Amino acid sequence: MKKFSKVAALATFLSASVSAGALHAQTAEVLHWWTSGSEQAALAEVRSAFEAQGGTWVDTPIAGGGNARAAAVNRMLGGDPATVFQFSIGQQLRELADQGLLANVNAVAEEEDWDNKLPPLIVKAAKYDGDYIAAPINIHGENWMFFNKAALEKAGVEVPKSWPEFIEAAKKLGDAGVIPIGLGGQPWQERIMFNSVLLGVGGRDFYAKIYSTLDDDLLASDTMRKVFETFAALKPFVDESSPGRNWNEATNMVIRGDAAFQFMGDWAKGEIIAGGVEPGTTVGCAFAPAIDTAYIMTVDAFAFSAIADDDAIAAQQKMAHVMLEPDVQIAFNKKKGSIPARLDVPADSFDACAQMAIATLQDKKTHLVSTGLFGVPSAVSGAIDDSISNFWNSADMSPEEGQEQFRQAISYAK
Amino acid sequence: MAEPAQGALKPSHDGRRRWRPQWTAKMALIPAMTITIVCFYGFIIWTFVISLTRSRLLPVYKFTGFDQYIRLFANERWWTAMQNLAIHGCLFIGGCVVFGYLLAILIDRGIKAEGMFRTIFMLPLSMSFIVTGVIWQWVMNPGLGLQDAVRELGWTTFEFNWIVRQDRSIYTLAIAGVWQQVGLCMALFLAGLRNIDPNIWKASRVDGIPVWRVYFHIVTPMMRTVFFTVFILMSAIVMKAFDLVVALTGGGPGFSSDLPARFVVDHILNRQELGLGAAGAFVLLCTVIAVISPYIHFELRKERGGRGH
Repeated sequence: MKKFSKVAALATFLSASVSAGALHAQTAEVLHWWTSGSEQAALAEVRSAFEAQGGTWVDTPIAGGGNARAAAVNRMLGGDPATVFQFSIGQQLRELADQGLLANVNAVAEEEDWDNKLPPLIVKAAKYDGDYIAAPINIHGENWMFFNKAALEKAGVEVPKSWPEFIEAAKKLGDAGVIPIGLGGQPWQERIMFNSVLLGVGGRDFYAKIYSTLDDDLLASDTMRKVFETFAALKPFVDESSPGRNWNEATNMVIRGDAAFQFMGDWAKGEIIAGGVEPGTTVGCAFAPAIDTAYIMTVDAFAFSAIADDDAIAAQQKMAHVMLEPDVQIAFNKKKGSIPARLDVPADSFDACAQMAIATLQDKKTHLVSTGLFGVPSAVSGAIDDSISNFWNSADMSPEEGQEQFRQAISYAK
Repeated sequence: MAEPAQGALKPSHDGRRRWRPQWTAKMALIPAMTITIVCFYGFIIWTFVISLTRSRLLPVYKFTGFDQYIRLFANERWWTAMQNLAIHGCLFIGGCVVFGYLLAILIDRGIKAEGMFRTIFMLPLSMSFIVTGVIWQWVMNPGLGLQDAVRELGWTTFEFNWIVRQDRSIYTLAIAGVWQQVGLCMALFLAGLRNIDPNIWKASRVDGIPVWRVYFHIVTPMMRTVFFTVFILMSAIVMKAFDLVVALTGGGPGFSSDLPARFVVDHILNRQELGLGAAGAFVLLCTVIAVISPYIHFELRKERGGRGH
């Protein structure tokens, strides 16, 4: 009893500094899919900050994003929602909001001026009808190119800046006995590489237009043809065992020097660190070759169930506050391998790759987001994955056919 | 079904006694019947209803007619999956029946160390499809499996890369599937063979009929019911094949080794296409009924007719 009142007193004391003051210990059940070592370590930073401010954290980890999302939705429909749950921002979350199943965290967001501190595209994605339905905790980048410096030296090539240069370099690497591209042949990884080519060949405006409008004429345009031609030209640079390979195995190929390049999101840094290498040293990072600089952002976010209980609401507000606190942002993102969602957080304690990303994002023109965050329904992004993967793995499909199939898949799924 | 009817026909003075066995039997059946009706037929109907709506993440009852079916039939991946189901079904069932029967015959011919072979062939069955899939994924991976091993032995042009080829990946499913299930088929066939009247063998030996002809023309037709059982068991495995493809190829490369069950689960759980997934599930059900029911009907009628004589 005594212990409880102490906690309550502490909570009251601390929450006085937060907008949502509550008198009781605020309990938040947090449902998430972060079960790997680095993910857990990162989330533990949020947890300890939340508990230090008087909250009680009930951890519900569920392995696998799909499983965790299904569990979150099922529990909501069953009337026993988790207070806070990890979810992908996008069309699905909007659908939940549309059904009135979500709470908003506008009070915290307004007080802390999220509108101006988060990248505008992410603000837009996290809002539904003007309400913040999710708290974005970080920014991952998807258009990274990791490379093994020793392998490049062996073949005598520089880090390529454009796709034609890349193809030249890849040929030399192949001659030198190095696998030019370490690719995990799973649809989502193939899509990440495709998007890098799309951005690199078409440019950032083209990329943004394609995914924000899904316009038929753009999909049938000559620029898109060039994208498919470049993508097809990469096929010979992948080793035979690529199909089905996991992304971290491909990362390890680059770490070992068996493969020269990998196109992957910056979560690969976690694997590089786990392999005993500091990102930016023997394994370097650069943006994928492109005609202009851009950063394809994707975010991890937490959403809040609509619960008619003052304690739970206070806990949700506190969670939103904690997640975007500068100290938590730094501690969390260093462990997660991402960069802070807030662009006003000091960058100097991050690794070289992350610093580069943070510096790049200061220019708003570089802001791009992954397909889902453009509000593309998961049906369409699924169809996109299918058609890219089908094209990539097909031995006899021409770039023209690939482009046409891509266009059709999108128009059927729309 | 036959027993309560007989009970009811029993001559009895006491009406309650005649009524009781039927009543208790029905009582005992109620839970099972409720579960069947609700969970099986109820959910089939619900799935069909959902397939007529535009539901995405959550069930939404805004009806759009057969829109989802139109979308489904325009979907290239769906047709690949259906075609794969046909290929995989034929190869898998055919492979299990042929190899299972041959193994059973070999063992039945009085092979040495019968018990050991039986155990070896049955062992894969103790593994789940997930494990089978992972094992065969390693074996068939060109970089670290069979191809690599043979090449290291000196045959450097040896190729076995089906799992990474779009036009061959579906066949790898049948290889792994047959490997796992052939033991069960063998055991069933062996049980059937052991039930064959030894007098038939004696008679055929007296008549000087070659062994293969006895198997082909006499024993095999007598094993009809066993073949039927094996066919039904294996078809059920084919229709619900999901874990094997997930573990072995992940439906890839591309979606070349996708199966309808995986298509449905993927669309319902990962793509929030509840309506489309439900339409796929319903079409799958109709296909299964269309393919299997004539055979079941044919077999059962034959059996009933046979018993009558």
